[in-house]
Formats: sequence, structure tokens, C-alpha cells
Amino acid sequence: MIDAKTLAQMNGEYAMPADAGPAWRAAAAHGYDMSLLEETLRLTPEQRLEMHQRALNTVLMVMEAGECHDAK
Amino acid sequence: MTQNDKALLTRLREQQVEFVIIGGVCGILHGVTLVTLDLDICCRFSRENLRRLEAAVKDLHPQHRLTANKLPLELTDELCDSLKNIYLRTDWGTLDCLSEVSGIGGFEQVWQCSVPHTMSFGEFRILGLDALIAAKTAAGRLKDQEAVRLLLVIKEKKERQKDLF
Repeated sequence: MIDAKTLAQMNGEYAMPADAGPAWRAAAAHGYDMSLLEETLRLTPEQRLEMHQRALNTVLMVMEAGECHDAK
Repeated sequence: MTQNDKALLTRLREQQVEFVIIGGVCGILHGVTLVTLDLDICCRFSRENLRRLEAAVKDLHPQHRLTANKLPLELTDELCDSLKNIYLRTDWGTLDCLSEVSGIGGFEQVWQCSVPHTMSFGEFRILGLDALIAAKTAAGRLKDQEAVRLLLVIKEKKERQKDLF
């Protein structure tokens, strides 16, 4: 049996860390996906750069696809 | 269209360009989760350093990307003395080189506010967290405000967990 809290989190509700400060809470309230930030902060700076490169490659690929589509 | 920041940084280091990583990529290294499409650096705008910069990208078809005719990067001493910024498009991506950073100052001030960081492909200096927050706050564009919000979160987290970079 899944409890209501777990079900809410499965549906996207963010579980605020107990030690979250005011800036963290404000960003979460603003709509940032804080779980992504938490994951990123566990990486080394170089791993963050590599992750960004992969995201950037995807963005550029989508942009190129859009340009090709617009040109047709 | 491509953007390979690691390759560009490696080239700059190999040519011993004096520079500090600023802007979005600096934010990424600090932990910001926003995507940025260019590499921004602040570098010393001396003739020697700009010549090193030119050498670093010379085979990458560098162009002044904001000029109407996409003029190639061909530095002269006179041009070196006149330039305050160099906005380049290269085969490996966009590289924006600034002589000063709003909210911080010129290269010397930026250098003072930078911290060394070693990655597998070399040692680089990046703008420190407080300085990056000051620079992004001064820039004040919407995307900068978004970055500042995350940087403040990272700063808060760092102060609570001293082991974070």
C-alpha cells in the first residue's frame, strides 16, 4: 500500500530536505526542479561540464532540426 | 552548429592565454542547471595575450560573429590596442572574450576574484561564486536573474555543507 505522501511524490511533489534554507525554499516555490540541482551538486565540476555538453548537444540538434523544418 | 567548450578551453590553455572562465559555463561549473550556448571568458587585452588567443583558434576559422560581413579574426597591433571585446564564432563554437566584467571590473579585478580549478584536461581559473553572483546581478538580464536565483541556492548549500565545490 502506497501512502499518500509517497504517492504525491510519485506524482511530482518535491520532498523538501529538512536542512533546506530560505534560498532553497524560495527557488523550489519559484518552480525550479530542485531534485535536478541536488543531483548536479553531487557531481564534480568536470562531470557537470560533461553533463552540460550532452544537454547542449541535444539543444543544438533540436535547433538545427527546427531550422531544417523552417527551410522546407 | 557545434559548441565544444572543453576543446576550446584546452586550446586556450595550450597557448597559455591568460583568462578566467566567466558567464554561463562558470555557472555550470559551480552547479547551475541552465544550458548556455557559448563560452565566455575574461582575458587580458594585451597584444601578447591577444596574439596567443588568435593562435589558439587560428585553424578554427574564427570570425567576428557580430560584424555584418563576419570578418575573420586578423589581429594587428593597432587593432589589439582598440579592442575591448572579441566576439568569435569558430568551428568549435562561440567564444566571447571580454576585457572587463560588469559588477567586477577589468581583468586584474576579475583575476583577483577567480579561483583555480583542476580538471582532467588542465587547470583553469573560474570566477568565484560571490563574484559570479555579483556579475550576473549587475548584468540583470532575465537569464542572469534565473542564474542568480540558483547561484544563491548553491551558495546557501555550500555554507551549510563546506565540502561542496
